[in-house]
Amino acid sequence: MKAVWKFKSLYLMMIPIMAYFAIFSYYPLVRGLTISFQDFRLIGNRPFIGFQNYGTVLKDSSFWHVLENTLLLGGGTLIIGFIMPILLALSLNEVFSTWFKKVTQMVVYLPHLFSWVVVGGMWIMMLSPDTGIVNQLLKLLGSDKPIAFMSSESYARWVMILTSVWKEMGFTCILYLAAIVSINPALYEAARIDGANRWQLVRFVTLPSLVTTMKVVVMLNVLGILRMFDQIFVMRNGAIAKSVDVLMMYTYQKGIMEFKIGVATAAGFLVIVATLLITFITRAIIRYDEG
Amino acid sequence: MTRGENDRMKSNNPHTGWASRSFDTLNILLLLITVATMVIPFLNTFALAFSTNFASMQPGIVLFPKEFSIEGFSTVWNRMQLYIPFVNNIIVTVVGTVGHVLLCSMAGYVLVQQGLPGKKWMVSLILLTMTIPGEAIMIPLYVVNKELGLLNTLTSLILSGLVSGFSILLMRNFFMTVPSEMGESARIDGAGDFRIFVTMYLPLASAGLATVSLFEFVSRWNQFTPALLYINDHAKYTLQIALKSLIIDTDSTSSNFVITTNVRMAGIVIALIPLIIIYPYVQKYFVKGIMVGANKE
Repeated sequence: MKAVWKFKSLYLMMIPIMAYFAIFSYYPLVRGLTISFQDFRLIGNRPFIGFQNYGTVLKDSSFWHVLENTLLLGGGTLIIGFIMPILLALSLNEVFSTWFKKVTQMVVYLPHLFSWVVVGGMWIMMLSPDTGIVNQLLKLLGSDKPIAFMSSESYARWVMILTSVWKEMGFTCILYLAAIVSINPALYEAARIDGANRWQLVRFVTLPSLVTTMKVVVMLNVLGILRMFDQIFVMRNGAIAKSVDVLMMYTYQKGIMEFKIGVATAAGFLVIVATLLITFITRAIIRYDEG
Repeated sequence: MTRGENDRMKSNNPHTGWASRSFDTLNILLLLITVATMVIPFLNTFALAFSTNFASMQPGIVLFPKEFSIEGFSTVWNRMQLYIPFVNNIIVTVVGTVGHVLLCSMAGYVLVQQGLPGKKWMVSLILLTMTIPGEAIMIPLYVVNKELGLLNTLTSLILSGLVSGFSILLMRNFFMTVPSEMGESARIDGAGDFRIFVTMYLPLASAGLATVSLFEFVSRWNQFTPALLYINDHAKYTLQIALKSLIIDTDSTSSNFVITTNVRMAGIVIALIPLIIIYPYVQKYFVKGIMVGANKE
């Protein structure tokens, strides 16, 4: 006890932090779990109804529909968003001019800095069929009819996937570049003495050294899949909602628009369970814990 | 390295020869295209923001203002009163960032103290909060804020994310480089922990403070979901929410005039400016922050 007393000022300093986590992390989690078993009304009594909310969600065909959208959009973003930054980092690494390298890094990182409202607003404007720059460029290349990207179901998912990759590509690329910088130059020297050409240097020295970073990136992106919200909320519209609405959109609509708090919370907890499950599976597949 | 060695290195360098050189050209070309896909949207946005109402509605590939004008800015700022959400955003960002940095570095300081009973528990509790997906508990968080009477207040937005496990661990990792003997000798001289923290640890971890502040500033400036959930009152709108209704919900504006493209893009440019100003610093500290942050234990 005396030891604890000696550190009293340290514990005192920790109180606001722990209080914060108690109120804004743990309490909502426990509270949410309770609500998900309640017929939650804002006023009046809130009877416990067992798994009924979960049943409502699981029987709702639109829940399965948004799940499908989430997996398609998330999967697409995951794959393309995995390949592009690696290609970008490798090809930047081949550039000799440090000036060009620096400017490129600076530019590709830029979109990561901005909110989805800004990025989404820019792309909606650029993809507009009448005046948008994308359709003007396509016209220049000989396409005769403008494409209504933002109101066509066949393009909508691709728009979401590609804008998302566009936004995060530079950020991920810089993670790889930081890893490349820390590769021991002696490895390249040794490979060169063995007569390796440029492609072989990339294939047998650079790429293997990036595996740890790749794992971190995959883990981060997998966790992001089910959380997708801002982008969709900003860029969706009535015409494409059916093919782009995701899980979090469903939770938001149920909870905030329809005030079915119990159902929305149950959906949220299904997302948590799914996140844990996917994390676990991904960890096993990529052998995350092996470094 | 001697001169002779240097020359030999050059002749041994694989970056020569016809195939290699054509690869370099192709590589640069592809990179230039990538850069163009990043630069053109921003040029396009800025050019339209500085065009007249009429010019901004015309089709064309606009990379420079067609008919230079700031009517878009004056409309969005004065007539659509974007200054209200702009000021709200500044309040939330500044207060939130300062509070965040102070609290998280204080926790980081506690966690580097040796022999503190229960430290393992604290670290686990903090790590655990990082695994709770914030979006998945957005409805319970809404309920909590409602019960605390925080809906429609800027306080709810300042409190949202005021402490984060990520920043705590980041600060802890920065403080680990401070020699603990320094604190020990100050303690013998009778200095309290809070004083040691403020006068010795904070100044020595200025790079950490800069990293956390910049991360937090950017994410607060862009904060969207909490504002969407907690704020209904137009007077309390923050920038991202106001922009969302200005740019995207064409029908949800209070006035009955057509919102031209230059007005929307002017709104975007206003939201971009503070971030562009701090961008050079973000770049400087970004990689450093990631490297220290990734080294969790």
